[in-house]
Amino acid sequence: MKYSKAFILAAALSAGMAATASAEDIVIGSSLGLTGYGSLTDAHWRDGLAAAIEQVNKQGGVLGKQLKLVTEDNKSTPQQAVVVYRKMMSEDKVVAFDSGCISAGNFAAASFVARAKLPMFLCSILPRQPEEIKWAFQFLPPPKYEVDTRYQYLKEKTQVRKIGLLADPSPYVTLMKGIAEKTAAEFGLEVVASETYQQDDSDFSVQIGRLNAAGAGAVIMLGQGNAVVTAANNIRSLGLKNMLMLGSIQELDIHLAAGKVLGDQYMAPSPLIQLASEDMSILTDPKARAAAEPFVKAMKDKFGRSDNAQASRAWDSLLMMVEAMKKAGTTDGEKVRDAFEKLGPYVGAGASYNFTTENHIGITQNPYVLVSVKDDKLVLRK
Amino acid sequence: MTSPAITSAKPPATKFASRFDRFQVGLLGLAALAVVGTLIYGGYLLTVMQLAMIYGVFCIGLNFFMGYTGQASFGQNAFACIGGYGSAILCVQFGWEPLLALIASMVIAGIFALIIGYPTLRLRGHYLAMATFSLGLITYDISIQWTSVTQGYMGYAGIPPLGIGSFTVDSERWKLVVLAVILGFSFWLSLRMRDSRFGRGLRAISGSENGAAALGVRVPRFKLIAFIVAALYASAAGSLFAHTVGFISPEVYGPQMAVMTFTMLFVGGVGTIVGPIIGAVVTSLLQEVVRGSGHFQDIAYAVVLLATLIYAPKGLSALGALFRRKKEA
Repeated sequence: MKYSKAFILAAALSAGMAATASAEDIVIGSSLGLTGYGSLTDAHWRDGLAAAIEQVNKQGGVLGKQLKLVTEDNKSTPQQAVVVYRKMMSEDKVVAFDSGCISAGNFAAASFVARAKLPMFLCSILPRQPEEIKWAFQFLPPPKYEVDTRYQYLKEKTQVRKIGLLADPSPYVTLMKGIAEKTAAEFGLEVVASETYQQDDSDFSVQIGRLNAAGAGAVIMLGQGNAVVTAANNIRSLGLKNMLMLGSIQELDIHLAAGKVLGDQYMAPSPLIQLASEDMSILTDPKARAAAEPFVKAMKDKFGRSDNAQASRAWDSLLMMVEAMKKAGTTDGEKVRDAFEKLGPYVGAGASYNFTTENHIGITQNPYVLVSVKDDKLVLRK
Repeated sequence: MTSPAITSAKPPATKFASRFDRFQVGLLGLAALAVVGTLIYGGYLLTVMQLAMIYGVFCIGLNFFMGYTGQASFGQNAFACIGGYGSAILCVQFGWEPLLALIASMVIAGIFALIIGYPTLRLRGHYLAMATFSLGLITYDISIQWTSVTQGYMGYAGIPPLGIGSFTVDSERWKLVVLAVILGFSFWLSLRMRDSRFGRGLRAISGSENGAAALGVRVPRFKLIAFIVAALYASAAGSLFAHTVGFISPEVYGPQMAVMTFTMLFVGGVGTIVGPIIGAVVTSLLQEVVRGSGHFQDIAYAVVLLATLIYAPKGLSALGALFRRKKEA
């Protein structure tokens, strides 16, 4: 019995040692909401990082060393995010973070990550303290673009002029809601009602009924996740056959599910790469196509069928980080950050970026097109 | 929900050593060793232990209401929320000193507990549990929706660390030392209250409300005071979280906090003296032990907790009784 215990202990220790990074590796940390409400988006972010790291290592790594990705589950909560960020800093000795879309988690860690002078490349929006923003780079398109794409369509292609907002309370959506309310008039639209929901609510009939009663001809859904499918089902069961539903950017499967329920009534903004995964010819810009092709191939080789909306920006963030390390000739946080700010315009697989010292929100051109669902596939809405 | 203290045939203890059995002293010693070891080792375990100390303060208060008084409350996170947001708003918006903000938030939480507890504590059993659970949910919803005050999910950042005047506790090691001292003080205070006339009254209520009333204990008043005491502890814990991490958002004080602290209390031993501290430390460290199991960490965590509750239903700090019984036999 004693021997077997000793054997188990030895095996556990050796497994632990094998799992730790070699001193020659460059370790990148990623705090992800792999469980909880962020699990859907952050799992794709992780996949994009993993594919990019494999690609970089295949090509010889960075500064003569291999890259190693350490991911930790923050359970979509800020308190766990604080723990895992600190763990990756003290135990894994990461040189930079490339973290997922849980804004609160990234905000909670931003102060001590900034004090440690480590750059953060984020799927989420930026933290708000000036000292923290200096070390953080946002790969999420500004919420204005999502709103603009939908409003532009309503203005140019429909007779709908009265709209209702249905929003969740997440930080990104809170920003987007403010913009949606403020800019509607610029597109000749009127927000006649604004309703909220929680991400885990299972029915929005009441909110949608109120929007309909206020005279809204279209529901602008502000929020990600399965809620959009629930709302689509509610619109159908309420018999609102003339009401349009314009969803947010979503995972592919959610677009398809909502589209299956509402057909032509459903549409949403989407980055071109989400469509291009099936048909590369949709990317007409040769530079964008050249950036997207290795990404799509790497994802297909590694994961088979994949959803590339989030993963493409994760891929871009890592390749840009590598570019900055090469340019800086070191992995020192401050020098990498400075080199990153000087990379200049960069055409990536998921979008085009232009980070500068003053601008840490990299996407400065609207990367979205409006899509709907036809025959279980995303198609451009015309 | 019976407190072991009231089922004992022995007279109430007065001296420190006689309040604890050796096993409990040993457990407290181990918890202290874990703190000292963490201070020496450093790293991210400092953060884990800081959070354990904060949850320990919360659980000591919860133990007053659930353990000693034998009442169910699933909504103490509401008062932690008041404490956390009170500290954040007073410090960030109005530039208050952190310590002053912490105390002011405790006062606000106490007043809320008085106003809410007065009608709520007329309920008993499952009804009281449901009412307190809804209190936690309502506060959580308010913290999300009342964005002009709480900033919703955007959260409050830039909350200053604890300190007095120009002295601030910036270093992670010192933060842990300060939190351990606060936990120690909270523990000492709870001991004093537990062994006071008030504390004995609470334990009598836990045994039988009718019996306690027959003995002259003012049951509603005692229950209300216990509820307020638990709220004060929870508020202090909420404030400490804000000043330690420097950022709060609604998720911190959501239903998950209620579940987490409930688990800690039951793992440590509800109604026992050292249970809240032991539960907070063991449960916090356990999460880090199972972290290595990757995707299965939640399952591993649940299995270990279930095993603990099955084989030690009165909590880890009550395990000493098993050895005592064997000796006596």
